[in-house]
Amino acid sequence: MFDVAGLLQGFAIALSPINLLFAFIGAFVGTAVGVLPGLGPAATIALLLPVSYKIGSPVTAIILMAGVFYGAMYGGSTTSILLNIPGEAASVVTCIDGYQMARKGRAGPALGIAAIGSFIAGTIGVLGLTLMAPPLAEFALKFGPPEYFSLTVLGLLLATYLTGENPLKGLIMAIMGLILGSVGLDPLSGAVRFDFGVPDLQSNIDFVTLAMGLFGVGEILINLEQTEAASILTTKIKNLWPTVADLARSGWAMVRGSLLGFAVGILPGGGAVLASLVSYATEKKFSKHPEEFGQGAIEGVAGPEAANNSAATSSFIPLLTLGIPGNASTAMIFAVLLIQGITPGPFLLKEHAPVFWGVVASMYIGNVMLLVLNLPLVGMWAQLLRVPYAYMAPMIAVLTLVGVYSVNNSVFDIWTMIVMGIFGYVARKLKFDLGPLLLAFVLGPIMERSLRQALLMSHGSFHIFFTRPISAVLMGTAVLFVLGNLWTARRTRNKRAPQLESRAA
Amino acid sequence: MKSWQRVAGVFLLIVAAVVIQQSIYVLRLFDAGQPGSGFMPFGLGIILAILSALLILTHLRSDPAKVRFWEEGWLRPILALGIMVAFVVGFNWLGAVLSVVILVVAWLLILERKPVMVAVATGVLTGAVVYFLFEVALQAPFPRGRLFGG
Repeated sequence: MFDVAGLLQGFAIALSPINLLFAFIGAFVGTAVGVLPGLGPAATIALLLPVSYKIGSPVTAIILMAGVFYGAMYGGSTTSILLNIPGEAASVVTCIDGYQMARKGRAGPALGIAAIGSFIAGTIGVLGLTLMAPPLAEFALKFGPPEYFSLTVLGLLLATYLTGENPLKGLIMAIMGLILGSVGLDPLSGAVRFDFGVPDLQSNIDFVTLAMGLFGVGEILINLEQTEAASILTTKIKNLWPTVADLARSGWAMVRGSLLGFAVGILPGGGAVLASLVSYATEKKFSKHPEEFGQGAIEGVAGPEAANNSAATSSFIPLLTLGIPGNASTAMIFAVLLIQGITPGPFLLKEHAPVFWGVVASMYIGNVMLLVLNLPLVGMWAQLLRVPYAYMAPMIAVLTLVGVYSVNNSVFDIWTMIVMGIFGYVARKLKFDLGPLLLAFVLGPIMERSLRQALLMSHGSFHIFFTRPISAVLMGTAVLFVLGNLWTARRTRNKRAPQLESRAA
Repeated sequence: MKSWQRVAGVFLLIVAAVVIQQSIYVLRLFDAGQPGSGFMPFGLGIILAILSALLILTHLRSDPAKVRFWEEGWLRPILALGIMVAFVVGFNWLGAVLSVVILVVAWLLILERKPVMVAVATGVLTGAVVYFLFEVALQAPFPRGRLFGG
């Protein structure tokens, strides 16, 4: 069971005026950052890193950064729905049906259901964090490199098979992501890899650069192919709130998304991106009208938005209990903790319990703040629809170009982003899913470090992944998953072959 | 479109070959009997080569109908890329704010064929927002431009 006294102490800390103020600032900035394409929570947290030096209290610093992170999950849906451009990576899936709802004049209900789903999921996520983190911190002490490697393999396979329509292309993108993640310094030996004599490539490719390039620049290029100049929506926007029927349709989607997102978010590298992808696939399978997906099905918004918020919260679990950041944003928060002299991991709860419970308590408060911020302001965000894309496109281009520079003050990063943008554009033209690439990029360094450490432990034998119980379960699950999908695919092909033959006859 | 899938497969095969070559000859597969810096990239290169070959094999037959890679508006993405490249080239020389202004003006004039006054006004406004948001509010150290003694 959880530490009630600890949680109450956490609320006492989180409800102090200064922490309430920073929670609000974080939530507000996070929402704004999520809305603006080209600026993501990771870039914003990176910009705020110097501020964290000046904030004396580690709790306050983490409250601010955490607010930016999960605030961006709320705001990211806004741009996805209004512009078909993800405000941040976890909102990619929301574009699919959210934008179609906006095109049908239902941007308000889409935004509303995204906010409500985010609140419900955020609340469930924080409750889960409260209950699960302490026992998991105890369990995490048993994890070693073989377990971490097996966990990352399983997470990557789930992302590849559960998202996109073509697992082969998904796997290719995942491998490309792992390769891109290995560019730069080898984390174990310090050797420089794949720099080809270019000094700027000796530091690893930045996640923000990659994400902005693939999803920011790439999206602009795709949209520019449309030669007709038109505003995004010319119809009047009415009924800015979801109807009772919308809520009824979305209810179970939000619950499923919350639970799925929570489970997936715990996986290193899983996080909000994978959670939203898995949720979308799940809702499509559960739906009585799967043909509506892609045409403006509200479950296609409710589920993924709930999932990404729940995952954003649960992604704090591996960060705080295992000391493993699951994505770029939690990696930034990891850096903030180190700046404040606190090492996240299994000993955080034992040695810095007030920090842990203060952050958890502030998430409850921040969730309420975000609901209040987002629902009343839905109409304001919806007005963005009236701005023609002809003006939005250069704004988005400016934000991505300037935003990526602001992370490392590096012109090379802008070049890298443009190259990634071209890659993302071509990949989308050829129907390659970019989600697995992004996930693999994040997981790659953790996966490699764990693999090599595990092989060091076993003197080069791969048996270690199957002889240690936890690793064996994870690896076995991964193998069964792949075999199950191959078998299903073969059955489908075998069923289709006689039908095709009979038609030909 | 299947021909383009085969082209993608060939491109990915080349990437795989480069990765494998670098892993073996530049990096180390093994270091003192333990996995070296080239170990995992080598494995990834092999897997990528196999998957790329599969991609090519699964798209061997030609499309029954001719499907072009660019179906419409092919020039606009290229022009946009050109404007973005020009932005980066001029970034350190002209400074961040002026580069932003020029990008927006060029974009609206060339890509969107907007009137000159509208393009200039939008560009100046965007530059002002970038200045206040990034340089003043977020204190991001943007270049002022070597042309202006920055």
